Amino acid sequence: MLMRRQFVLTLALMPVTFGIWYAAGTLFAAPAAWVCDLIFGLAYSSIIDSTGLQGVEMVVVTQFGETSGSIMSAAQAGNQIMLEINTRLVSYSIAFYAALLMASNVKDPLYKFCVGLFWLWLIMAFGLASILGRDLLMMVGALFLNAPGVPPADLIALTYQFNVLLMPTLAPVCLWFWQLRGSPLWEALAHDIKRASAKA
Amino acid sequence: MARFLFLFCGVLGALFAIEMLKPVQEAVIQPFTGLLAALSTAIILPFDDTVIAQGRILRDATTGFAVSIEAGCNGVEAAIVLIAGIVAFPAAIKHKIAAIIAGFFFVQALNIVRIISLFYLGQWNYTVFEWFHLYLWPVLIMLDVLVVFAIYLQWLGKNIPNPEPA
Repeated sequence: MLMRRQFVLTLALMPVTFGIWYAAGTLFAAPAAWVCDLIFGLAYSSIIDSTGLQGVEMVVVTQFGETSGSIMSAAQAGNQIMLEINTRLVSYSIAFYAALLMASNVKDPLYKFCVGLFWLWLIMAFGLASILGRDLLMMVGALFLNAPGVPPADLIALTYQFNVLLMPTLAPVCLWFWQLRGSPLWEALAHDIKRASAKA
Repeated sequence: MARFLFLFCGVLGALFAIEMLKPVQEAVIQPFTGLLAALSTAIILPFDDTVIAQGRILRDATTGFAVSIEAGCNGVEAAIVLIAGIVAFPAAIKHKIAAIIAGFFFVQALNIVRIISLFYLGQWNYTVFEWFHLYLWPVLIMLDVLVVFAIYLQWLGKNIPNPEPA
């Protein structure tokens, strides 16, 4: 009964949380873009020049340039390739998480939401970095792969699949489940889990 | 709980790595994705005879609009999450197998609804199509996984009788 209530309420709240997320897209994306900027500045300064946010697009200025269709270093080309990444591709996890949490009867929901938001921003940063990795792999190719600290192409593909296609929906569920402890739904679930695992 | 989390993450990572292997993509994932397109077409055809399936592509012969079912759209990732959860949770092997088969069916049934809905949403309004494709349907599919797993837990608890008191 509690589980049914949880799912119905989650579905009912989704238009509200997605509406707020859409209206305040830049606000929800900014911390993740800032973490990305920090990571790129520390670990990939030979690849990324600067990172910024324009609306919901994360704008990345690379150290690569293009002349007559050939990709080369920005210094050689005299220009810099700029990439735009749609932050909504990963930030919708916040709207999903908010709907899941608000539908549950948890204690200190605002505090828990803030904690969850912190983790989601970190996860989002990895998602944005994975999108950038894939875009650079497709656009720059060998020059990018040969740069120091760049993982192999297969690993870039795997992390993209994991961080962009899966984590925006899996991470909110894991966070919600972790924060559910102590709630009536958790008690009901724990009862089911105890019964099931005791009989296994 | 720690054991469940450890197993869940391990199985999830392993299945993802296997799914990404080129031979697996060629022998399993791509034919399966083609099958999804064919199934979607078979479901639509009695109501709309202008739709045709070409491999992984679903096309409307009149408008020319087409959707291609790509990685991340075939429901395999969602099924992997469900399988990892079922495998990680302590239960008898026969129950796990039954849950994986039933769960895979439920996830794919909703995924076919997703493909068909996106095919028509795309012909109606591209902005709405993008919203559903990129943000709403992934959430609904994950909710489906969660519902199936919750039902599985309840079923496990109820299905096997409690031990008789001495």
